[in-house]
Amino acid sequence: MSVVSAAVSALAVEDLSVELPRDGTTIRPVNGVSFTVERGRSLAIVGESGSGKSVTLRAILGLLPKGGRVTSGHVAVEGRTLKESRRNLGRGRDAHLSIVFQDPLAALNPVLTVGAQIAEAPRFVLGLTRRAARDRALELLRLVGIPDPVRRYDAYPHELSGGLRQRVMIAVALSSEPKVLLCDEPTTSLDVTIQAQVLALLSDLRRDEGLALVFVTHDLGVAAEVAEDLAVMYAGRLVETGPVSEVLSSPKHPYTFGLLESAIDVDTPDRIPLAIPGSLPDLSQLPKGCAFHPRCFLATPECTTTDVELRSVGEGRASACLHADQLTIGTRRS
Amino acid sequence: MTSGNVLNVEHVSVSFPAEHGRRLWAVDDVSLGLERGTVLGIVGESGSGKTTVARSITGQEVPSSGEIFLDGVPLDAHRSRSTNRAIQMVFQDPYASLNPRLTVRQVLRELLRIHHLVSRDDEEERCRELMRDVGLPPAALDGKPGQFSGGQRQRIAIARALAVEPQVLIADEPVSALDVSVQATILQLFHDLRERLSLSVIFISHNLAVVRHLSDRVAVMYLGKIVEEGEREQIFSDPRHPYTRSLLASVPRLHAASVAPPRLRGEPPSPVDRPSGCAFHPRCPRAEEICARESPALLEAGDGGHLAACHFRNEPPTDLEDS
Ligand SMILES: Nc1ncnc2c1ncn2[C@@H]1O[C@H](COP(=O)(O)OP(=O)(O)OP(=O)(O)O)[C@@H](O)[C@H]1O
Ligand SMILES: Nc1ncnc2c1ncn2[C@@H]1O[C@H](COP(=O)(O)OP(=O)(O)OP(=O)(O)O)[C@@H](O)[C@H]1O
Ligand code: SF4
Ligand code: SF4
Ligand SMILES: [Mg+2]
Ligand SMILES: [Mg+2]
Repeated sequence: MSVVSAAVSALAVEDLSVELPRDGTTIRPVNGVSFTVERGRSLAIVGESGSGKSVTLRAILGLLPKGGRVTSGHVAVEGRTLKESRRNLGRGRDAHLSIVFQDPLAALNPVLTVGAQIAEAPRFVLGLTRRAARDRALELLRLVGIPDPVRRYDAYPHELSGGLRQRVMIAVALSSEPKVLLCDEPTTSLDVTIQAQVLALLSDLRRDEGLALVFVTHDLGVAAEVAEDLAVMYAGRLVETGPVSEVLSSPKHPYTFGLLESAIDVDTPDRIPLAIPGSLPDLSQLPKGCAFHPRCFLATPECTTTDVELRSVGEGRASACLHADQLTIGTRRS
Repeated sequence: MTSGNVLNVEHVSVSFPAEHGRRLWAVDDVSLGLERGTVLGIVGESGSGKTTVARSITGQEVPSSGEIFLDGVPLDAHRSRSTNRAIQMVFQDPYASLNPRLTVRQVLRELLRIHHLVSRDDEEERCRELMRDVGLPPAALDGKPGQFSGGQRQRIAIARALAVEPQVLIADEPVSALDVSVQATILQLFHDLRERLSLSVIFISHNLAVVRHLSDRVAVMYLGKIVEEGEREQIFSDPRHPYTRSLLASVPRLHAASVAPPRLRGEPPSPVDRPSGCAFHPRCPRAEEICARESPALLEAGDGGHLAACHFRNEPPTDLEDS
């Protein structure tokens, strides 16, 4: 472990790239991704299915699928660089880094009571006594809003509803006292009323415990509620970053713009959502230049040849578009 | 029962056996009418009984009481082939419902033949027409399900349902598994189908934005019962049931400043242990003493055709609901 910088972010990811073998070739589902999250703050990552959101989180944790490899980049939690090998300790429990998955049933151990799963890290990682670990687990069950924690301690995952299971998953993730919580669509399978409860819980944890969050979602409304900052991912790259309210009210990348246009908004039922034409390219045959150009309404010949990097487009904002300045509020595709 | 309706569900209840010899009432005394050429949206939390209502309409579940009428004719438990044809269903996961070995053309032709819908000479033209209806190129007829994206598969599933010229199309969460950017195109397709083919649709979803976007009328379910029903804007602009109001307030908004405080504590109880009185009362922010004792009937609230099952349906929301 080494100290990398003096002004310490809770999480700093720099130039992260990942390669995975697929069908005899190699794909790069994460390509030069950088971001930081400060203590008590939250970054949402959005993008279409297959854009690389989950692989990014897995690479941060060192939980890549078989054959996967981090080819560049480094990750630091509170200034301490995480070596890839050290991260790979299952549930990332070493590194003050934890993850919550979309499907808690798949992530929880079906033959252990939820209490035992939550008490595991306090006992074996934090070194508490059996009794103290049990108390800590009960406290966590209470913290995540599970009614009747003493009874629920002895329940098995399948005996709980989806909403309760997701809370248990969060309690397990918090049990190692992480500084950073990575969330991969943790509310996607929940009803809106339960989703609201889980989002409120996460926001309490940020406020009260100073937890830093990275929150992957495909729902821009959820991103707006849960995060201060937004990163938009396309074909393995971050194509736009900035404060969530600003990005959503005046996007500086045509892809972000397209995502907004395709969103179905409950408050404007008569606005017709417009889909982004085409689909995500095959990662083994990425278009040259800007990977978004075949689907882009602003594309020019230049876009098909020039490599575009994320660059500053105003205070706290960045876009990977050659024509970012041409996007203004109200631009509407014909 | 309204005569202009293509479909009427009258006091239908469906139960399943539960532990300890008890019964789980998945659908409890539900009545619905579907007007021809319109879209009826059904919303509600997971487990509220939406799919079971749909399955009772298609005949996959046999109601323990109540009746279902198609064009005014009661449907009995043993349905004829033509009745089955008249009511088609599209599901959340189009892949699971498509045979991976057959091309789209093979699937469609077989259906057209079984139901004697067109002459052999006209089959190819009808297949192409179906592709046009769902916004796919004719070349898609040569493809097999595995070759298509999620959105394209959903179009194929819809084409297959349309092939048999149904009177009623039931779509159960048809866009929930799709990417946001693709959802928009499938919704647009449902819009078009209603306009061009004056199809009558029951559209089930837990996504309120999607339901508001598409429906003419909306029914809100909670624990097996309809708790509110009305024209789209009656439900979304003037909701009369505290549950409907909580659902609406819980939808994440694009321009939200911060996390909205949750409107509802707790989770829906099991339908096996239905709470006394109004089943919503343990979670209801404005429940009063009467609510635990007396079950509110689904009654007229506000303007014509707007129904709500709440003792206080004709009173404004209280501050309690904002906490
Ligand atoms: N185990 C794996 N082996 C090979 N390729 C994979 C594997 N997991 C993911 N990929 C590929 O990596 C790319 C990024 O996938 P990823 O799961 O990160 O997308 P995502 O943005 O999380 O999408 P979703 O919204 O569907 O969860 C995709 O092209 C995917 O097919
Ligand atoms: N075959 C069955 N046997 C026993 N119980 C069932 C069966 N089918 C449904 N149920 C129960 O009936 C209730 C209603 O289920 P249903 O699937 O209709 O709900 P839903 O509103 O469609 O939910 P979701 O949004 O999760 O799809 C639930 O409590 C469910 O567990
Ligand atoms: S660089 Fe060109 S193709 Fe890429 S997003 Fe910008 S305008 Fe579109
Ligand atoms: S009847 Fe009572 S408990 Fe039921 S919704 Fe109305 S106020 Fe709430
Ligand atoms: Mg993912
Ligand atoms: Mg269902």
